[in-house]
This record gives sequence, structure tokens and C-alpha cells, in this order.
Amino acid sequence: MAANFWTSSHYKQLLDQEEVDVVHPLDKEKGVTLEDFKLIKMHMANYIGRLGQNVKVRQRVVATAITYMRRVYTRKAMTEYDPRLVAPTSLYLAAKAEESTVQARLLVFYVRKLNPDEKYRYEIKDILEMEMKILEALNYYLVVFHPYRALSQLLQDANLNDLTQLSWGIVNDTYKMDLILIYPPHLIALACIYIASVHKDKETTAWFEELRVDMNVVKNISMEILDFYDSHRTITEDRITTTFNKLALRS
Amino acid sequence: MSEVPNVFSKKVADRYLKREVLGEGTYGVVSKAIDTKTGQIVAIKKIRLGKHKEGVNFTALREIKLLKELKDPHIIELIDAFPHKGNLHLVFEFMETDLEAVIRDRNIVLSLADIKSFLQMTLKGLAFCHKKWVLHRDMKPNNLLIGDKGQLKLADFGLARIFGSPDRKFTHQVFARWYRAPELLFGSKQYGPGVDVWAAACIFAELLLRRPFLQGSSDIDQLGKIFAAFGTPKPAQWPDMVYLPDYVEYQFVPAPPLRSLFPMASDDALDLLSKMFTYDPKTRISVQQALEHRYFTSGPLPTEPAKLPRPHPKRESLNTRVSDFNQQEGPTVLSPPRKSRRVMPQRDGFEENAHQVEKSDEHVNDIRQATGERMSWNEHAPMSIDFSVFGSRPPPRPTINSADKSRLKRKLDLEFQQPDQD
Repeated sequence: MAANFWTSSHYKQLLDQEEVDVVHPLDKEKGVTLEDFKLIKMHMANYIGRLGQNVKVRQRVVATAITYMRRVYTRKAMTEYDPRLVAPTSLYLAAKAEESTVQARLLVFYVRKLNPDEKYRYEIKDILEMEMKILEALNYYLVVFHPYRALSQLLQDANLNDLTQLSWGIVNDTYKMDLILIYPPHLIALACIYIASVHKDKETTAWFEELRVDMNVVKNISMEILDFYDSHRTITEDRITTTFNKLALRS
Repeated sequence: MSEVPNVFSKKVADRYLKREVLGEGTYGVVSKAIDTKTGQIVAIKKIRLGKHKEGVNFTALREIKLLKELKDPHIIELIDAFPHKGNLHLVFEFMETDLEAVIRDRNIVLSLADIKSFLQMTLKGLAFCHKKWVLHRDMKPNNLLIGDKGQLKLADFGLARIFGSPDRKFTHQVFARWYRAPELLFGSKQYGPGVDVWAAACIFAELLLRRPFLQGSSDIDQLGKIFAAFGTPKPAQWPDMVYLPDYVEYQFVPAPPLRSLFPMASDDALDLLSKMFTYDPKTRISVQQALEHRYFTSGPLPTEPAKLPRPHPKRESLNTRVSDFNQQEGPTVLSPPRKSRRVMPQRDGFEENAHQVEKSDEHVNDIRQATGERMSWNEHAPMSIDFSVFGSRPPPRPTINSADKSRLKRKLDLEFQQPDQD
């Protein structure tokens, strides 16, 4: 199956960190910094996750939705594509693309239920309109590969099945970052296994050495994940509110 | 056909100049258009919005998703997509005709080399899909389009799916009935690329015979036709058969010699055909193996695509004039004198057919228990269609129409994982 990813549109669309970290000029005008940009995307990834749990879709659908959302913001400004609408719409589109359709009505119901803040409240027609705009922003590329499949295969191969839960959780957390836009999914999976094995004091050096992968890349990804865990602690609700106020949407 | 805009909008007007309506696709109207940027003729599919406020049509989305990944000389190219007035429009390369039109055209003589060429291109397109872990699931001559240089391309990926997880369950209600593999007719939900191979074999046979090979009138009858042609399978031949969900025992009939069914075919052709028509999907030849079969390297060699016979182009121009006339003069003619290809022929017949399919599917288990009444109900169903209109032409092909598809959509097991890399 290896040929599959390497010939996919996902692989061709991988970006460098620097390309992902470009704040759209329109957002910059509003004073949005790179930090703010990352923060909003993380916040929206969490939001998509919560919506996904409520409408009961698989983790894979959530992961695809977050990837769509992140891809949108490599091309579009948050001031023009309100993240609070892009998030549920990405989930709506991802559910269709992953063949587990969620009704727009149901989604709108949970959007209301989860958000006392009126700024999050969008109607079905808003979601359907945004669906078309997201499709366009994605240039109609909908197939996304995720680390999950590789993760279970690699864990099995390494005979590390007791790390499944921890490493699976770390993979979920990687969607709070832009890693899926930058690295091939199996390398993300390896980084998560690496962190999990170090954390649980498992000896995996020999196994990693046998894999024909660039361990520097795997270690870099691991470091990024660990850095993220560190910085994540300092984020408060206030900080998020302040950031959103900069966007001054729906005034 | 109710609206007559010649251009889509100011924004896209300078890009695509809309011409006549070509036909009704699975989920929208298809029009011919000119890409004014490149001068290329294209076909634009306008996707109807879902009736139940569900945004972009699910089937259309599936086709977009897969076609964006499948770029191959033997697969229809999705050139572009754009929203306009709330509808999504898909821009495909324009194809002159399709294999069904070629097979049906009595003025065309298909040489053995021509047949080989059509089959080879079909299998090449299919091989690419399977390599990418995509099942087409709706292979039939009508979905094999033919371009101006004779190149054949697979189209209509509205039923296609990514496979790869070995125990993933799918619906068995795929393919037009005449092209359905026996495992599907027995209700298998864990099928693989073999279903496309069986359908390709039916197309191969159709090319040789110049009529659909196994024209079952119901699912039961379809299996009957298959067994009459190849003999009732013995468990030794296909060990998993008896475990399939809708398996029923059929009275044993022996297989007539394959040669008697295809008197014109070469030995190599018969050998390949029998390998593609193998009952057990596990031992059925794969598309890749089929392409490597000596049939394709032994003489006569496949005809160059550009030299393949095609339906007479005069019809085309007549068609154009007819639909132009309709568009300009206002009155909507419900039954144009000659419908262009890709139009679902005999609408009534199809609705009847859909109805029939639905009914027989709903009661599939009852029928399987072989009650004669149900069978006769099925036979009576199409009586409301006046067959005399068709004269000696073959009955309308069963196809999966949009009503079926929306039903399918609901039935489709909605959970699946696509293969990640390993």
C-alpha cells in the first residue's frame, strides 16, 4: 500500500513549516500574530473534536475535518472565513467524504448546544454555503491519510501493543498542531511511538534502527510534539477570547 | 433544459461557453461547453442540490474525491470544478461516444483486433483503479466513454469506493444487474476487485456477441442465466459460496462448451474469458494478470485506438441541431426525436425497472425461497411498457438510477477506513 500515499494528492500537497506559518495579510492587518493564528486553529481543532463526539463520528472523520480546516487557512483569511463556521462545516464535509454522513440539522443542534456564545451560532444555510467555499479552498482534494493505520501496523510490528493507548492519544493530540500538513502520516505515527516508548522506558532503539526512515525527522517531529505539550499549559480561556476579539468578526 | 443561459456567469463566462445539453447524468444535467481559455470542448455536469438541504450531493462528492486522485489516460479527467448560483459544476473532458453506442451500432463491424483494443483499454483503466485501491462498482459499456482519438476511458465513479481493509463490509447492491458478479447476487458484502473483473468479462462477452451477454430479468433470473452459461457451480469450485448471505441452492445444470457460446472467439480469447468468469472470486484472474494474458500479445494485435470504428458522426450534428432548436424555440420537447448518448433511454422503462429492482431487492429473500408468484410478478412488472415501440431492439438495460442510488446511499455501510500507507 505504500505506493498509495506517495502517489496521492495528500503527499503532493505537503508543505514546509514556513509555508504553513504564514498569517494571511488580511488577518495580519487586524493584528493577528503567528501565535494567535496557531491558537485559533488549535481551539477550532478542539471544537471539531467536541462536535465530533456529540454527533458520534469516528476519530478518523474528526481528523479529516481538522485537516480540511487547517488546509483552508493555508489559503484563506480568518477574517473572511470565520473559524466558528469553518469548523462545523469542515466536520460536515469530512463526514460525507469519509462515507459517514452527518445531517446538517444535527450538527446545527449541537453547535447551539455546545456554545452559549452567540458568535458560534450558525444555521444550516450558512453551513451549506460554506461547504461550497471550503471545497473550493481545498481545490476539491478530499482524500486525507492519517497516522492511525500506520500506528497500529507499526506497533504490531514492534511488538509494542501495550503502547497502543498512549501513542493513540498522542496521535490525537498531534491534530492540535499543523503536523498533518507537513509530514507523511507514518512519520507522525513513528514520532508518537517514539515519545510513548521513551515515556514508558521501552527499549526500541534496535527496532527504530531497522526501519528505513530518517530518524532525524522522527526526532524532530517528536520534539515539536513535546514543545507543544509544554506551551499548551500556559493557554487560558482569556487568551483565546482576546485573540478572537482581534478578528472582530460578525460585528 | 428549462433554463437557457448560454454562459454560466460573468465570472466564468470568459472561461466556459455553454452549448447544448448532452443528457441527464446520474445526479445532474450534462452540457457541452467550450473552454474559451484553451479552445477545448468540455462536458459540464451541473450537480443538482440535494432536496433535503444536505448540500453537495453525496454521490457527486464521492466522484470528485476519487477522480481528483485518479489521473490516468484510461480514466475520465475531471478538469475543473466551480460553484455557480449555489450549484456545483464539474468540468470533464468531452468524450464523443461510449462503448454501448459502438456495440449497438449495426453499421459498425468490430474485428477481433478492435475487440481486443477496447478490452485492453478497459482493463488498463480498471488496473489503475485497483492499484489505487478503488473499486469502480458500476462497470458497463455505457460508462466506458470514447474520445475523439478512439481512446476509451472509465467514467461515472459515483458508486466507486476505496477498499483495502479486508473485512470491511460493503453493500452488494452495486452494478447494473447484467454485470453483477455471482458473489454479489448471493449477497456478499466483503467483496473485492473481482466484482469489476466479472463486469469486465461481461463487457468482453458483449463485444464478441454484440448484445448483452447475460440479460437477467431479476436477481434470481440473473443467477439462472449465469449458471446456464457456465454450469451450476459445485462447492469444490467455489467453497465459500454456500456461506454467502443469500445463497440458495440451484438445480444443477452442466456447462455447455464455452466455444458454443462464442463461436467467433479465438482460443486465447476463450481462455481469458473463462478465467475472468471464474466463479470463486479468490481464484478469478486479477485485472493485472488479465492484461498479461497471452490474448493481448498473440495475433491479431489490438487495433490502435485512433483506427477503431466509431458511430457515424452525422448523428452527432443532427443531435446538435435538434437540441439547439429546442433550447431556442422554447417548448420543451419531452421526448426528443433522437436522444444523445448518456441520456437514459426510455425513461418509463427505467422507472419501471427501478421499481422492479427495488421491489425485488426488498423481497429478495422471499424470492430466493423460490416462490413462483414473485417471479411471475417480476415478469409482469414491465407490462406497462409498450415493447412494440422498441421493435426488435433489446430491452432497456437495467441501470442504477438516482432513486436507487439514494437508497444505496442509505444502505451503504457508512463506516470505512481507507488504506493508509504502511
